[in-house]
Amino acid sequence: MAIQTIDRASELTTNKVLRDTYRLLSLTLLFSAFTAGVSYFLRLPHAVSMVCTFGAMGLLWFVLPKFSNSAKGIWVVFAVTGLLGVGLGPMLNHYLATANGPTMVATALGGTGVIFFGLSAFALVTKKDFSFMGGFLFAGFMVVIMAVIANIFLSMPGLSIVISAAIILLMSGFILFDTSRIVNGGETNYINATVGLFLSLYNIFQSLLFLLGMSSDD
Amino acid sequence: MGMGWKIAMAVMMLFFLFRLWPTAKAWMENGPKGSTSDWTTAALLLGGVMLFVWVLTKIV
Repeated sequence: MAIQTIDRASELTTNKVLRDTYRLLSLTLLFSAFTAGVSYFLRLPHAVSMVCTFGAMGLLWFVLPKFSNSAKGIWVVFAVTGLLGVGLGPMLNHYLATANGPTMVATALGGTGVIFFGLSAFALVTKKDFSFMGGFLFAGFMVVIMAVIANIFLSMPGLSIVISAAIILLMSGFILFDTSRIVNGGETNYINATVGLFLSLYNIFQSLLFLLGMSSDD
Repeated sequence: MGMGWKIAMAVMMLFFLFRLWPTAKAWMENGPKGSTSDWTTAALLLGGVMLFVWVLTKIV
């Protein structure tokens, strides 16, 4: 009887984390789309985009960890996602100015949605534990970051394609990993869970848009 | 992109690596290990994603 009560309480906690995570994720995605739209219409220069991305990273690394267990953490998440949205503006300006730019952006957006819903649905329905992927995902992510650093100076189009494909692969893995951690009770903080899923979606969208742009250039 | 921005970005990425390393090390050393069937499921799902991306690049 006691075990059943504990199981039920644990299930209720998991459902609450899941519900709160998806609620906050939807709101932050809408807010990020809004700030990206503002950045697009104002035609903000690339430098502003870089400063916003740096600002978002700074908030993620130094401010969010201090507030992730309080309600103030929600405002930090909105600030991070808003700044990342502003950072997307110049990229959207660049692609939307091309001949089939609107199609590419819509395809990248739709493709990101399909990948996210497909993988999340699999992890939610099967309740399979994907935490075994943690080591592989973090090691892969570190290799990708090293390749990104090299390509900042090398500017090799071939390497950019490989990096973008690797980012989509790893971020898809992180969607499975993060969702299964929420479902199986490994992640109980919905603010951290939201940030993890948002960053996966953001990176998939950016990399997919880049790949679509490269394939359309051929 | 100017050299100043490139260096700033590289420094940010290096800092990211530095921050990520303890988490990555902990997961690599102490994280749960998957069975062959676990990895097959993961590979099929991620392979499906890559196939989907390839199809998207062909239709746009």
